[in-house]
Amino acid sequence: MPLIINRERVQDSWVLVSPEDGADFVEQASGHELLLVPFEYIEAADALSPKQLGVQVTGDVEVGQIVPWLSKLSLIAIEFPVFRDGRGFSLARQLRRVGYTGELRAVGDVGRDRLGYLERCGFNAFLIADEIYSDEALHAFSEISVHYQGCADDPRPIYHQ
Amino acid sequence: MYQYNQVDQQIVHERVEQFRDQTRRYLAGELSADEFLALRLMNGLYIQRQAPMLRVAIPYGLMSAEQMRMLAHIARKYDKGYGHFTTRTNIQFNWPKLEEVPDILAELATVQMHAIQTSGNCIRNTTTDHFAGVAENELEDPRPWCEIIRQWSTLHPEFAYLPRKFKIAVTGSKEDRAASQVHDIGLHLVQNAEGEVGFEVLVGGGLGRTPVIGKVIREFLPKEDLLSYLDAILRVYNLKGRRDNKYKARIKILVEALGIDTFRDLVEAEWQYTRDTELKLTAEEIARVKGFFTPHAYELSAKDDVSLDQQLEADADFRVWFERNTRAHKVAGYRCVVVSLKPLLGPPGDITDLQMDVVADLADRYSFSEIRSTHDQNLVLAEVRQTDLYAVWKVLSEHNLARANINTLTDMIVCPGFDFCSLANAKTLNISDAINAEFENLDYLYDLGDIQLNMSGCINACGHHHVGHIGILGVDKKGEDWYQITLGGSGREDASLGKVLGKSVAADEVPSVLRKILETYIEQRTEEERFLDTVRRVGLTPFKEKVYAADH
Repeated sequence: MPLIINRERVQDSWVLVSPEDGADFVEQASGHELLLVPFEYIEAADALSPKQLGVQVTGDVEVGQIVPWLSKLSLIAIEFPVFRDGRGFSLARQLRRVGYTGELRAVGDVGRDRLGYLERCGFNAFLIADEIYSDEALHAFSEISVHYQGCADDPRPIYHQ
Repeated sequence: MYQYNQVDQQIVHERVEQFRDQTRRYLAGELSADEFLALRLMNGLYIQRQAPMLRVAIPYGLMSAEQMRMLAHIARKYDKGYGHFTTRTNIQFNWPKLEEVPDILAELATVQMHAIQTSGNCIRNTTTDHFAGVAENELEDPRPWCEIIRQWSTLHPEFAYLPRKFKIAVTGSKEDRAASQVHDIGLHLVQNAEGEVGFEVLVGGGLGRTPVIGKVIREFLPKEDLLSYLDAILRVYNLKGRRDNKYKARIKILVEALGIDTFRDLVEAEWQYTRDTELKLTAEEIARVKGFFTPHAYELSAKDDVSLDQQLEADADFRVWFERNTRAHKVAGYRCVVVSLKPLLGPPGDITDLQMDVVADLADRYSFSEIRSTHDQNLVLAEVRQTDLYAVWKVLSEHNLARANINTLTDMIVCPGFDFCSLANAKTLNISDAINAEFENLDYLYDLGDIQLNMSGCINACGHHHVGHIGILGVDKKGEDWYQITLGGSGREDASLGKVLGKSVAADEVPSVLRKILETYIEQRTEEERFLDTVRRVGLTPFKEKVYAADH
């Protein structure tokens, strides 16, 4: 799946390990240098001491649950199960607000027409399904070039810009 | 009124081009119908029973004569020569072609108009009192605050995919003409013990399937904290509101489920992060926006006019219209004129392109080139010199815009119903026609006094039936239209939800049932008692007995 980071297409070097029920997590997760796991596996993944640790969450996880792990995380992926589920926009803002500066990646139902809003809320990485992706999608970031209200990208309202 | 600067203009232009591209990609098959649906709704475009329907924003119900002429032009060029004003003070066009909508939006942008966030699960057009800035007993003009909210909420990146739609109303006087207590957030300008003006904040009001009166979440919010507090409420709602069932997704359900105290605690906790950030409004910005709403250059000599008294004396029809369709203005010598969009024949809230041009011309000539649209689907020329009233009335009368029925039974709020809306269960326009035919006699209506009749064609309650003194809800029973009647609702400062009278009645019985309800009122009322007050005092029983006993 195409990955965009900071408005450029890049290779994804992370491996998401999300074992089905009954599968052995340690066996599957061992040996990955850049290890991305669902939130429920974060302790087990940390115990494996990967070179870099990432966590994938949905809107069900509250920012307070992630905060204790922030210093260990190089990637936080927020999943949008369906595009109408807008919780990830607010969760992203809260994560930036508590000082997380690493990669914040939107995954799941991530379409071209939400890229601009997602970026403004603090996402800098976007994993987009093959069938939706085209290089033209990169134009979406600059379709609306001015904004009234501050957000994670720039907290200043228009009258202070 | 507010005038766009280069930034405002750039935003609407870029939004038009963005939507043009979205429409192009949808028509080319590059964008799924489901995704385009969410995108087009956020730009006011529905696909309805007959055709697409485009809802154009009229921020807090204020428009210029030039903008009204553009709406007339859109109606002529892209539609069937008319439009329909809504309870959110917007206007709907019922017959545009999907592929022409980007061109319509481009034309609107040339007069500082758009359709941004007139639908979809986002923050909608903020509404207010249609007598804002001219009402006699106003604490402060609410419109600058509406404009501040408009700018903050327009294309807000975080709050575009909320669990459900979100509506805010602001009032500046004790009289509530904006139904603020049945909004997701109601903001009331109030004065605290120290004499400072700020906001009382209500949250969790709404109609629809589960009507709820909003609850006070904060008794006094300093003005400069307005946006940070709204931001905190919206974030808590966006994170915690239900998304599994669209009928339980409004903020009212969340507030009811958590309880107002728990909800308040969550909001206050969130607010502590944002209160002292860039969201805090500066005195300069507040003053800048207020600068667009300064009083007009009124003529001090307007009050010296003696012609009005003579005309009132000489022309009984004019006098009746004056008494019923005009209101006091805070400046002596001026009046607020309500332009009735409730003719004897024709859907409530509808207006033709010619009528739009006529109102625009009157605004240019007599009312500082401004027009307001009202929550109850009329228009207002808010600042007419009393010496000009006779001329205004003449023109309005010629164009069927002067029916002297404001606040009477036939000044109904009515949704378009099954004839147009794909959500509706039942027709409404045939019922409003039947009510108009049954109660054509204006003297009878005047004797009944102020009555608010609200009608919706389905439980989504776009016609606000729960808060009508008399509410009518269309329901579908085995393929037939039936109508449930409620009594005792109010959307005003004394807000209450109507109670169901009894079993629903067939379409052809609605006028006679109303007649019995009104006869009961006349029998029961004390001198000077409004319909609503009688219902509240005597309860539903006498009305029930009259309506249903007569069946046997």
